[in-house]
Amino acid sequence: MKPAPFDYHAPATLDEAVALLTRLGDEGCDVKIIAGGQSLMPMLALRVARPEVLVDLGRLEALDYIRDEGGTLVIGAMASKQAAADSDLVRRAQPLFQAATELVGHRQIRNRGTVGGSFAHADPASEYPAVALVLDTEFEAVGPDGMRTIPAADFFVTYMTTSLEANEVLTAVKFAPFAPRRRWAIQEFARRNGDLALAGVAVTLDIEAGLCRDVRIAAFGVQATAVRLTAAERMLEGRPAQPQHFEEAGRVAATALDDPMGCIHASPDYRRHLVGVLAARALTEAAARPQ
Amino acid sequence: MAIEIPTLPEQLPNDAPRHVGKAVNRVEDPALVSGTVEFIDNCVLPGMLHCAILRSPHPHARIVSVDTSAALAADGVVAVLTGEDVRRWCDPVFTAPEGWGNYCMAVDKVRFVGEPVAAVAASSRYLAEDALELIEVEYELLTPVATPEQAMASGAPLVFEERGTNVMLARKYEWGEVDRVFAEADHVVSRRFRWNRVGANPTETFGCICQWDLADGTLTCRGSYQTPRFMGIGRAGSLRLPANRVRIIAQPMGGGFGGKGGPRGTDIAALLSRKAGGRPVKYIEDRMEYLLAGGGQSWDRYYDAALAVKADGTVTGFRVRLVDNQGAGAEGYGTISAAKPLAAFTGNYRIEAAAYDLTLVATNRAPSYPYRGYGPPPHNLVLESLMDCTARELQIDPAELRRRNYIRPEQFPYTVPSGNEYDSGNYGQVLERVLALADYPALRARQAAARAEGRLLGISVVNTVEPGVFDWNAYATVGVPGIGVPEGVKVALDVFGNVTVAVGFNLQGQGQFTVAAQVVADYLGVDMAQVRISTAASDVAMPHFGQGGSRLGVAVTGAILGACEKLKAIFTTVAAHVLQLPADDLVLRNGRIQRRDAPAHGMSLAEIAGLMLTRSDLLPAGVEPCPEATYVWTAPNRNAPDDQGRCRSYLTAAYATHVALVEIDRDTGRVDILDYSIVDDCGTRLNPANVEGQLQGGVAQGVGAALYEEYVYDAQCQPLVSTFVDYLMPTIHEVPMTRKDHFVTPSPVAPLGAKGCGEGAMHTTPAAILCAINDALAPLGKELLETPASPHRVWKLLQEAGSAIANGPTGTRT
Repeated sequence: MKPAPFDYHAPATLDEAVALLTRLGDEGCDVKIIAGGQSLMPMLALRVARPEVLVDLGRLEALDYIRDEGGTLVIGAMASKQAAADSDLVRRAQPLFQAATELVGHRQIRNRGTVGGSFAHADPASEYPAVALVLDTEFEAVGPDGMRTIPAADFFVTYMTTSLEANEVLTAVKFAPFAPRRRWAIQEFARRNGDLALAGVAVTLDIEAGLCRDVRIAAFGVQATAVRLTAAERMLEGRPAQPQHFEEAGRVAATALDDPMGCIHASPDYRRHLVGVLAARALTEAAARPQ
Repeated sequence: MAIEIPTLPEQLPNDAPRHVGKAVNRVEDPALVSGTVEFIDNCVLPGMLHCAILRSPHPHARIVSVDTSAALAADGVVAVLTGEDVRRWCDPVFTAPEGWGNYCMAVDKVRFVGEPVAAVAASSRYLAEDALELIEVEYELLTPVATPEQAMASGAPLVFEERGTNVMLARKYEWGEVDRVFAEADHVVSRRFRWNRVGANPTETFGCICQWDLADGTLTCRGSYQTPRFMGIGRAGSLRLPANRVRIIAQPMGGGFGGKGGPRGTDIAALLSRKAGGRPVKYIEDRMEYLLAGGGQSWDRYYDAALAVKADGTVTGFRVRLVDNQGAGAEGYGTISAAKPLAAFTGNYRIEAAAYDLTLVATNRAPSYPYRGYGPPPHNLVLESLMDCTARELQIDPAELRRRNYIRPEQFPYTVPSGNEYDSGNYGQVLERVLALADYPALRARQAAARAEGRLLGISVVNTVEPGVFDWNAYATVGVPGIGVPEGVKVALDVFGNVTVAVGFNLQGQGQFTVAAQVVADYLGVDMAQVRISTAASDVAMPHFGQGGSRLGVAVTGAILGACEKLKAIFTTVAAHVLQLPADDLVLRNGRIQRRDAPAHGMSLAEIAGLMLTRSDLLPAGVEPCPEATYVWTAPNRNAPDDQGRCRSYLTAAYATHVALVEIDRDTGRVDILDYSIVDDCGTRLNPANVEGQLQGGVAQGVGAALYEEYVYDAQCQPLVSTFVDYLMPTIHEVPMTRKDHFVTPSPVAPLGAKGCGEGAMHTTPAAILCAINDALAPLGKELLETPASPHRVWKLLQEAGSAIANGPTGTRT
């Protein structure tokens, strides 16, 4: 388990990185960006990923920050997941994102892995894409033509693929303010503590006068990308926030799910079932959360 | 000279044992925690090359051609090894049963995914792996044999064509009047069980550095070797070398558990060294290699078993049919694993008759290897599960059913139908203590309350007898050539009275160096800090075996005591001569040879040793100037097996009872362990902390086997597990910290009364968890008779019972 040969660059600035990526792209090189390396290093060692060139963002310390920009939480792409998990600002501003971060692996993994790296890696079993889909999340990327902002709905394309261009660097993740009244929960099912989830569900909703409003439910670990469970969202809209409706929403979510993945730990049927159970549990947990 | 080995700590020549029986700090630990241990991958030799192995992607295929020309020309490559070299220079590796073995590298066809096909020695592992990609192998695919059923079907493709069958061994044992007890039984409780493949996963995989000295024809192998002497004999066989030309240097190991399949890696690295002009070649097995084709796969078993039971719950007969999927060959000595249950076939019970019908088959899965406990963990799961099924059918509490069937204290030494003799025990005492420790009535009340809410809680009360200290005769019955299991040491005092114990094994994690230091320090009356334990290379070490079969703690204790007894005799002779006293007036006490009636008159052992080494003029005639003694311990009173395999095979019989409480999540099938208690009795606890570590570690591996671990193959025999993402070892989050208590019933026959205790928790825990799961499922009328109890598997059962949907999600998990 040793990586195949590759060239290695560690640009000192973002501009340098973008210029390098552009040049390498023009030369037809197969390039991969490495941030923390938590996911990429094993893939390299197994020779599953074998880029010709590795561009390491490790020197871009300017991208390692967590800050509040007028009510919007902005996390630099190179901030570690453990820093996000430990941040009081993140906990206050985006409690769902903070809770999701604590579900990622173990502390050692969160120390190594970066927030930006995880989003850009777009592992279907990751908590982050699903959370991004139920929050108002935007991704800031810098390329040769400058900076652009990509909404979460347009960011995740398919299995481990985002809409980032080969010569773009993900620089920051932005979360619009999370209203204090808004309810949230994340539930996942993994074989062991810290494992990638076989299935997971993130929800946000409002409860007004006992009725569910603006329900957002997203599942992860079940398809090539995280997926909004729109049938269940629609079904719940305006319904009383009561267990039987949450359970029905779970059944609707499970039934409506297209073609879940199968693996040695969970068949497609089992995954479908888990989505229903987890959706109901997450909705119940969110509704019960003290305001 | 007859040597009497003390069988109780009180017999040590000390006013009170100062180290034995105490949880002293382990002598191994300072180096471990400071990172100075010479694990094999830390070792670098001058001119060393690195080996990488090309492995078969096919489960069954003929090798048409291997082209290594591009690899040989690659950067840094010094030598490339193929099956043609191996055919020319080697014989197949040692196997049991004999003749079911592969060469260390495929020579004509591949029989499992991961089988070595070629290997490269290069100046770095990176370059060696790059070169592997340049080797071109042409295969002609053959139909794989995936299951025992396929293997035994007529006209099945043959894994070893020359054998004419895929059945490696078929053997029936009958002990007592089995037909009669089943005919006379009021109930016959029978079930089929499936134990899926699991296995050892030490932190450190196998590794070695081999150097073939072309000038004098000697092979030196440094590596993580669990049984160095055995490994040396095996290499001499497969590499066609005189046994005294193979030196095995055992480095400290990062765990073993039986799974370090060293023979192949050693042979390949050795042959590469031979091809590379004698330069040392390092091979470090990586985790993917280990999981695919190392020694980490064990127990791929199908059981059909029954108990004969009288109306009052007395169990009179036990019948087991086992079909064991050994995979592609018997290099892991699979018969041993299948035959070990003979040592405790009927567990803790007075079962008068038993039968064992054993079939081992070859398939295109990876060869299976030993794993902690050898055969009993699955066997005990079958026996204990049947006891629970019986309890349910007869509506007797499972603890009470066991109590009624226990071998009684006055019946020891007790010979089980399958022939082994249990040295001592009091099973009822352990049961009552663990029921109290767990507060069994409270657990049952908690279960009743939970059931009323529709929750699935289950409780188990599960026993084991752990045969300890295996001997040569245990496996003679299934075609294993005589493997002697001596354990030898040399105990030496230097001129200052420091003590060195030379042993034939190295560290593996269990703490045997500490036990050795405790015993020798107490006997010779020195401080543990004055003792050093040192590993001798296999060419100069005393006959030894090393770790394996729950024996080393007991065996090395016996060896040290034997050597110390010899030293006492020599030192007494010298002291008598110097002090001009009759030897009979002198005794060894607290590190001094002194007058029995006037202890102030005497000499310390350090004084005597110094005198012996420096003043030959003061020595009595015929005494060598050598304050050293060797002793090779072997268990007393062993006998040859009869035609039904019956013999006194294992010296000691430790025992334990576990009580587990689990809950099944009705919605997901997930099993959580809520409570776990253990009471055990392994005789004298030489180092109580070591024993507790063995118990807790056995529980961890048992949890893995019961709930998480499984080597999955598809219908074409392709392994679907090749990393720890899919092979799920339990972590600290999944393993319960158990409540523990114990009794001490010293073995009347073992050194210091200590019984082997390295495997018992692994025998018990899988059964305890599965029995608790089935207790939880009982209200649904369902049973899970397959391991591991993965959530998916349990969920399917719940689906069949219709409970998961009917009840719906039950709310939030926190």
